[in-house]
Amino acid sequence: MKMIQNLSAALLAGASTLGMAQAAEMGAVDTPIKLAINEWTGQHITTHTAGEILKSMGYTVEYVTAGLYPQFTALGDGDLAASLEIWLNNAGDIYPKMKEAGKTVDIGPLGLETRESWMYPIHMEETCPGLPDWKALLACKDVLVTADTFPKGRILSYPADWGTRSADIISALDIDYKAIPAGSEGALVAELKSSAARKTPLVMMFWKPHWVFAEVEAGWVELPAYEPECDTDPAWGPNPNATGDCGVAPPITMKVAWSGFEEKWPAAYAFLEEFKMNTADQERMMKAIDQDGEKIEDVIAAYVEETKATWTPWVEAAQQ
Amino acid sequence: MNRTAKRTLRSARLAWPWLVLIIISAILILLRDSYPQIIAYPDGLTLPLADWVNVGADWFIAHAQSFFRALAEGLGFAFILVQNILTGLPWLTLALIVALVAWQGGGNRLAALSVAGLLYVLISGYWVQTMNTLSLVVVALPLAVILGFAFGYLGYRSKAARKIIMPVLDLMQTIPAFAYLIPILLLFGFGPVVGLVASVIFAAPPMVRNTVLGFQSIPPAILESARMSGCTGWQRFLWAELPTAWRQMLIGINQTTMATLSMIIIAAIIGGFEDIGWEVLSSMRKAQFGQSLMSGLVIVVLAILLDRITSAYAARQLPTASFAGLPTLHFFGLIVVVTGLSIAASYVIPGLWRWPEWAVWSPAQDINKWTETFLIRYGSAMDTLKNTATYFVLLPVKIGLEKAIVPFTWGVTFVPAAKTAYWAIATLFCLVAFALGAWRLGIALIIGLAFLYFGATGLPWVSVLGFAMLLAYQLGGWRLAAFVGGSTAYLLVNGIWQQAMLSVYLCSVAVLICIVFGGLLGIWGASSKWASNVIRPINDMLQTLPQFVLLIPALMLFQVGEFTALLAIVAYAIVPMVRYTEFGLRSVSPTLIDAGISSGCSPWQLFWQVRLPQALPQILIGMNQTVLYALGMLVIAALVGTTGLGQLIFLALGRADAGAGLVAGLGMALLAMTVDRILQAVVRRM
Repeated sequence: MKMIQNLSAALLAGASTLGMAQAAEMGAVDTPIKLAINEWTGQHITTHTAGEILKSMGYTVEYVTAGLYPQFTALGDGDLAASLEIWLNNAGDIYPKMKEAGKTVDIGPLGLETRESWMYPIHMEETCPGLPDWKALLACKDVLVTADTFPKGRILSYPADWGTRSADIISALDIDYKAIPAGSEGALVAELKSSAARKTPLVMMFWKPHWVFAEVEAGWVELPAYEPECDTDPAWGPNPNATGDCGVAPPITMKVAWSGFEEKWPAAYAFLEEFKMNTADQERMMKAIDQDGEKIEDVIAAYVEETKATWTPWVEAAQQ
Repeated sequence: MNRTAKRTLRSARLAWPWLVLIIISAILILLRDSYPQIIAYPDGLTLPLADWVNVGADWFIAHAQSFFRALAEGLGFAFILVQNILTGLPWLTLALIVALVAWQGGGNRLAALSVAGLLYVLISGYWVQTMNTLSLVVVALPLAVILGFAFGYLGYRSKAARKIIMPVLDLMQTIPAFAYLIPILLLFGFGPVVGLVASVIFAAPPMVRNTVLGFQSIPPAILESARMSGCTGWQRFLWAELPTAWRQMLIGINQTTMATLSMIIIAAIIGGFEDIGWEVLSSMRKAQFGQSLMSGLVIVVLAILLDRITSAYAARQLPTASFAGLPTLHFFGLIVVVTGLSIAASYVIPGLWRWPEWAVWSPAQDINKWTETFLIRYGSAMDTLKNTATYFVLLPVKIGLEKAIVPFTWGVTFVPAAKTAYWAIATLFCLVAFALGAWRLGIALIIGLAFLYFGATGLPWVSVLGFAMLLAYQLGGWRLAAFVGGSTAYLLVNGIWQQAMLSVYLCSVAVLICIVFGGLLGIWGASSKWASNVIRPINDMLQTLPQFVLLIPALMLFQVGEFTALLAIVAYAIVPMVRYTEFGLRSVSPTLIDAGISSGCSPWQLFWQVRLPQALPQILIGMNQTVLYALGMLVIAALVGTTGLGQLIFLALGRADAGAGLVAGLGMALLAMTVDRILQAVVRRM
């Protein structure tokens, strides 16, 4: 049954390309487009916004919860149609593997303005004078020494399965610190909140946009700004003997789809190519949902209504 | 030569293999600075087993995938069918059916408990997610029970089959589920089916075991009379064997139900069907403790209801059961009538179909605020507690006293004179024990003190291998030594030694705490009826809870880290220790106690010389279970940031690296089985 549907969709798509050159057909409007819902609220907002607009175009959309890594298996098999907010700095080894095998395709960047660096609750500027300059960390290492890291200072880092960015920068800068992996995003947030509340010392790897900034005032450690030479030329940057002695390039957020998506739902694909998410809007909605306890459906419905002028051209471009 | 010297020499003669190993270890440790590979197993000697597994798995998946995907489609269809029924029916109908089923099994009290539990689910607003989880349980449970029964019966009929089935069961239960989620995901494809298959694998073993046990314990007289009354094989099975084994099998069904639920919650990490486990997991990841507590409680409610209802049906089979419920036909008639009426009522009043929004009430946001206030006020006290435990207990076991005693942690420097004194005292203790003829105690003392001095991660691997094999040999002969040696070698050649030792470290601390506190609680429970009544429900609760719910309160108070993991492991693994200690002490025969009393024992002597030695075999079984539970919980604890094998399995899940996950998982299983076999050998020798 599924095969026949696929086949007819393919035939339709083929026929349509013969007919009109550019116009995208709607495709299989009755088969639900399954969009992945991952573990963080920002992604829910992105996905629901795109999903509601797709519904208004006449598609059926289904939101399916999916773990960050397991979802790639699903995308590769077409069990999920698309996942709309993949952070390329955190996509693991399986994302390039699937892309290389031709099982998934990148629709394009989502356009969030992101930042990733070491971050601290704002009271640290008193505890460790000289911040946000990273060199201040050299002087106030003793403040950040803890039981597990002694005699080194502690920098809280991403869960181990997210990669080793903090540890890499520490060794490239050759500073006397140790990266301690947190178990989960929740663990990172919990430490940040408790440190801010109790004014205890903390420096940690983090990223934005994130809802926690609606609640905790934070500063970002200014590492030497990232330039491509930093990764290739040891002479570049403060440590003449190492590459990578600089901050992290702002991560790219990507919309990723099953490779059969465009053929099955051409207009939806064309729309998703246009679709972008506004960073400030996303942060505002994250706060409304996570902190003020509003329902995501209500927040998104209002937002989609409000921004009709922004997305109508995207839909028109897709359907012209 | 005086007698003391003679006894010392005799001890030394008996202990010579140990002494030789100790001397070799001492030499290795003296050389460790020049040869780091003495501590860290050299990379050059590892085998790329994980890569081979991946090559094999890729080949297998490429060839078998279409078959498994078809199977997945069928299972997925069954799931969607059940899901549509459960989420489609009015809540009123479902609640009434559950209440009736509960009443039929256990009477008014159980029915009231069910209604209260379901009301909580409705009010907290997690009804749909709960029904999704329940749908998967409803599909997985019959599969696990049928498969478990089939293999159990096979194991009962054929001794050869039993020889294969039993070790496989051990593996199925000791390999952490996270490790086999990856291959299942690749084979069956994304979706609820992954959790379904994983839970059948994990939940079938208790059914197999109880089926074997049930059939094996049929009194021969029953089989005799069946033969004499001329039963055919089929008749004998249906009318003699099955009814007799039925009660034990119901106990199996109860255990299988709990295992199914627990696994389905764990498999939520894959995602795919908006279940309650996903809700807990994602709110935990967002550090929303209020939400994770509220949804975690839903799991607790679900677990308690499933447990009580299934065990009520098992208890009804007892000849002493007083409550019988309605005759079956009447009961089903009643269900049909109630279903019809309640659906009709829900048509009229929509609030009976879908629980109205205004009636949902969740204090999650308030709980978050309270937690924060609490942490601000008592955070430094919590930190002191955490740091004390870390400095004085965790760190010494992990990196050894030689590295753990520094001014920053203990406030003093471990000066060479103190180190010399440490070893002098250790040697003295050992000599005294030798002189008293207790050479085992002497050896245990010196090894224990060396372990504490160098830490789990600072021991030469050759020594660990040697001591483990020697212990195994002396307890259980060559076969056990070979098994232990093989397991240790497996950890070494796969390059997971470091992680394995980190797991050993965390588990051994947890197990030690469980033995001390669990033992004391058990003794307390055995000493008074009142204490026992307090302890039992808490134990029941801890054991019915799906494991990762236990992480939530620990995480709330102590944030990420090994201390949090330790607390969660202790909370889960202490239960068997308490239970078996209490049971062991209670079942000491009264004649022995009377004999003790009449020979003039004080209560203290009575405990140490009569009751404790008599209860020791039971207590050792409890310890064994505690070790297995601790290792099982270790993987779940990796969610809050532990290192070791658990973390490795997690990493593999992130990379979809089936090989690495299975290698680490098998490592964990071998570790568990090694401890299990050694403790069993100890019990046998007693």
